[in-house]
Amino acid sequence: MSHKVCLIRGDGTGPEIVAAVEGVLRSAKVNIDWIEVEAGLKCVEAGKPIVPDETIEKIREIGVGLKGPMTTPIGKGSVSPNVTLRKKLDLFACVRPVFSLPGVETPFKNLDLVIFRENTEDLYAQIEYMATPTAAHSVKVITESGSERIIRAAFDYAKKNSRKNVVGIHKANIMKIADGLFLRTFKRIAKEYPAIENWDNIVDNQCMQLVTKWQAYDVLVTLNLYGDIISDLAAGMMGGLGVAPGANYGTDCAVFEAVHGSAPKYAGMNKVNPTALLLSATLMLDHLGEHDAKSNIEGALKATLQKGIKTYDLGGSATTSGFAEAVASELKG
Amino acid sequence: MMTLHGVDIFLNLSELPKLPDKLGPFDLIFIASRGTRVYPVAANTHAGIDWPQCRYFSDETVTDVEIEQLVTQITELGLQWTKCQKLFKLDGENAFSQPY
Repeated sequence: MSHKVCLIRGDGTGPEIVAAVEGVLRSAKVNIDWIEVEAGLKCVEAGKPIVPDETIEKIREIGVGLKGPMTTPIGKGSVSPNVTLRKKLDLFACVRPVFSLPGVETPFKNLDLVIFRENTEDLYAQIEYMATPTAAHSVKVITESGSERIIRAAFDYAKKNSRKNVVGIHKANIMKIADGLFLRTFKRIAKEYPAIENWDNIVDNQCMQLVTKWQAYDVLVTLNLYGDIISDLAAGMMGGLGVAPGANYGTDCAVFEAVHGSAPKYAGMNKVNPTALLLSATLMLDHLGEHDAKSNIEGALKATLQKGIKTYDLGGSATTSGFAEAVASELKG
Repeated sequence: MMTLHGVDIFLNLSELPKLPDKLGPFDLIFIASRGTRVYPVAANTHAGIDWPQCRYFSDETVTDVEIEQLVTQITELGLQWTKCQKLFKLDGENAFSQPY
């Protein structure tokens, strides 16, 4: 069966990484009809929005996208292409699985948890003002409906994937109103899932717990800003942004992306690690129902890393394309 | 120098409010929800509307009294505002964010 997927090649090292991932998917005999859509610096240079409306509409129509890393231009009026996609497509659930990979040495053995980050509100609503010439004011928006849908997504995921616990992360001891609403909603939704253990934790304590008792956690669900920070902390525990996958789900569309930046200083050097986007692509395969292909690629990736074939960020010398070819050679069937 | 140009009016509403495009010296620039535009062109048609942010703005400098009259007119439309934030320019530059 052929799947239509919108493809954003990205900026900087994005096109190299995307090409590497395309090659592995082709070798895994996954039949994907790639529909290339524009976004990123090229659009800005051509005088278009960083994510043109046609791109948003096409992803909305097709329902699935794979995105290479993009650069957020620095300067007044510039917007993040990633945040634009999340907001305009209402991709409310940022899902970041974090797990140990063989051959990727970290102090965090047997790491296996999933972070659900709310993607559309909180301080990322970006409602900001200068209230006086010397006082700035940023509005933190937390809604019951926004909280409910991300919390429900986390519990549904836990139920479907036989995860034992879901932990709600907040700072309601200080932000008693905004985070308090999130916490109340968490406790209300949790009652609907009696088979799943749940508790809540304050975000700073959770950071400490993550690096000391990471094996106690299965699914974490949290607000946008805390999720942004915790998911990068967890990516570091996994071995770095070069190996950390990400997915953004909405009600009727999803975009899969590596969580790292576009690393423009390495552009064209065939150097950067394609693992993060490759693992993001396996999340996409799962979403498309291609579960065997997902397992096949994950197995091949782990076998490659186990053999010590790694890119520079993991202490190896493999190139982007060389690493992808090594993964492809490990595929079964 | 700080100059006054408009106001963001946040409404106690979970739907798109019907508002005049022009009130006094102000134009209705957009309505947004959670920082994402829902009017005049919705950037996103899927998320529900919660606590809509309605921006009335004038390129010319306005007075506090004109802002107060505008807010009174919104109330007279039967809408309940829960927060109003004045919009200033600092040395000619907008001192407020734009929605997606």
